[in-house]
Amino acid sequence: MNLPVVTQSQVAHRSLQQGDRTSGYVLLLPSLLVICAVTLFPILYSVWMSLNQVNLTENGYQLQFDGLANYNILVHSGVFWHSVWFTVYYAIVTVAVELVLGTLIALAIQNVQALKGLSLVVMLIPWSLITVVSAEMWSYIYNGVYGILNALLQALHLIGAPVTWLGTPTLAVVSMMAADIWKTTPFVVIIVLGGLQMIPAEYFEAAYIDGANRWQVFWHVTFPLLRGSLALAGLFRILQAFGVFDLPFVLTNGGPGNATQSLAILGEESLFQNLHFGVGSAIAVSTVILVLGACLLFLSVFQSLVRGESA
Amino acid sequence: MKKKASKTWWHTGTAVVLGTGLLAGCGGASGNSQGEGNSSGGGNGSSVVDYSHASGQIVFAASPVGNGNQNIIPILVQQFEKSHPDIKVQLVNQSTDTDTNRASLTTQIGGGSATPDVYMGDVVWPAQFAASGLAEPLSKVLPSSFWNRFSNGLVSGATYKGQVYAAPFFVDSSFLYYRKDLLDKAHLPVPTSWEQVQQESEQLQKQGLVKYGFVWQGASYEGLTCDFMEFLTDAGGKVLDSSGKAALDSPEANKALTFMKGLVDSGVSPKSEVTFQEPQAEDAFLQGSAAFLRNWSYAWNDSQNPSTSKVVGKVGVTVLPTFGGGGGYSYVGGWDLYVNPHTKNMAAALAFIDWMTGTEGQKILSQLEIPTNASVASDPSVQSKNPIYALASKTHYVSRPVQSSNYPQISQAIYTNVNAVLAGSESVADALKKAQQQIAQVQSSGGGL
Repeated sequence: MNLPVVTQSQVAHRSLQQGDRTSGYVLLLPSLLVICAVTLFPILYSVWMSLNQVNLTENGYQLQFDGLANYNILVHSGVFWHSVWFTVYYAIVTVAVELVLGTLIALAIQNVQALKGLSLVVMLIPWSLITVVSAEMWSYIYNGVYGILNALLQALHLIGAPVTWLGTPTLAVVSMMAADIWKTTPFVVIIVLGGLQMIPAEYFEAAYIDGANRWQVFWHVTFPLLRGSLALAGLFRILQAFGVFDLPFVLTNGGPGNATQSLAILGEESLFQNLHFGVGSAIAVSTVILVLGACLLFLSVFQSLVRGESA
Repeated sequence: MKKKASKTWWHTGTAVVLGTGLLAGCGGASGNSQGEGNSSGGGNGSSVVDYSHASGQIVFAASPVGNGNQNIIPILVQQFEKSHPDIKVQLVNQSTDTDTNRASLTTQIGGGSATPDVYMGDVVWPAQFAASGLAEPLSKVLPSSFWNRFSNGLVSGATYKGQVYAAPFFVDSSFLYYRKDLLDKAHLPVPTSWEQVQQESEQLQKQGLVKYGFVWQGASYEGLTCDFMEFLTDAGGKVLDSSGKAALDSPEANKALTFMKGLVDSGVSPKSEVTFQEPQAEDAFLQGSAAFLRNWSYAWNDSQNPSTSKVVGKVGVTVLPTFGGGGGYSYVGGWDLYVNPHTKNMAAALAFIDWMTGTEGQKILSQLEIPTNASVASDPSVQSKNPIYALASKTHYVSRPVQSSNYPQISQAIYTNVNAVLAGSESVADALKKAQQQIAQVQSSGGGL
């Protein structure tokens, strides 16, 4: 290829010979096939499974087309709707808090030049831990008998008796959200920090010269220019938050009762404990639809918000 | 480490017991299984496989069995290979988490893989695995005499629709562990009733001898189903009636659940009981914070180990109490050996199972677990190793006469609702009604959610 690093993309296109283009596709083909095999096929197959009655027999999986029967089961199941509700509000609360907190921390790190490297490293520790590992750690922190959190709060005389952090529905949900926010805020920080560094310093100078205060600079300069980074961070976080599995799996197994039973936990239970592959696939597909909807909604709300403000 | 061990163990406990029968009911079980063996053997006489000259290679998938870093499985495999030089066994270590283990076996065997040829699986799996074609019906390929070696009741637990799908490998049951020193100090007898456990706990706590009275498994998971089922059977209740219909919304179930809730509400059990799986309950006891513990047999070894226990030498163990006194019921837990229906070396697989459940293999296993082979289990030299083994023969087991391939869902209906009661977010009556409804739905639709 003859280095098409030209500003006009049309020029680059024209400079590619037809033969080059074909060989390009040929070179891409293997990786496309791999992507199809490991991504596209399983997705389509689980959509197909969700429309079938699936029985596992000694001859393998037996599929019998059943239309929307599996979805019909879901729609009439209180357990399913409870999981949908939990997953939705869990995602909204954690992602919102993470975006706000992450932006604030990124702004702070940006301004504390001296300790930037160290702050970044410290920030990255929670993010780099495998969720299951950090969840185990949190389960010790929250333990109602010998947990560190109780010991700390008791030493500070903030609580009299130990609190069972994971023992009542509200506390369990809040505790789990705290663990999630602790772990994934650094992700938002990194993305936002990247965005901040791309804003030319002259913009801030110009704003200050014009007499803008800190808040005005943030709201009229920084925030609008960060929207790309924030949208990206938000999207990634929503995608992950809707699939939340490790934390409830380790901390509560969906309990108390089914207070923290996310869609992913419900799906795993259906697929791999109950071996009900049809219903389990329907849960998985519903989750995908829900996530897609949530992402589109987030983008449109976010864009109109930013547009409204910057206009 | 603890967590790992427990994850293996809590499912071990699941040997579910949906209903009525006592071991008495299964007393006929070994006879029963013989009958079954005969009938299938008679029907398919030619399909019995002769494995006396088996050779070749097999793959054996098993989770580690033992305490801490100890794993007895490789030792067993090594000894087997020594006595069968023509057979090579490749050991694949499975996850210690039962559900992960099940998921990987389901994916592999359900996908048609010929390996693992033999796998170790939970005693609660036979019905589900049989219905899903994940386990070979062993009664078709083994002579009926094979099943005579096992202790009473065990074979019926591995039977589904008249065929035996697994060979019992080792058993487990639950016990009441107590602090000898505390009971002596307060001049209290070893309790034989649940009421006594509660009263003595309150007294010990009042005297300031111990922080908590009784710790058990109350988290929202399979282990809670085990604990609840024991209380329920003690109270005379059942999950399913004899026709397989949900029978959980009963005065007996109400009594059992009210008692469990009372333990938490009165402070006899800690508030965090609702988050306790085996390791948390065991830790509380081994650190000296509780007077009584309900746990599986492995807790005995842990309590005698100074590196994990602060109460070495102060622990006693007895059969579980019941309401009003007398021996209570224990869930049957343990692990079985299954054969992959797609195996390419049935003869070697069977030779392996024969040896592992025979006297030689079971004697080695008995260093750590309660053997399923009756002659090994009753061997005085084996019994003298561990006080648990002698108690095991005095334990009443809740057997599982109703074998539902939807057991996991029935159990989920039980533990989520019972846990909600313990956490105070639902009343006893409402929770039982809800569990009843969910179980009825599972039984009628045979699937769904």
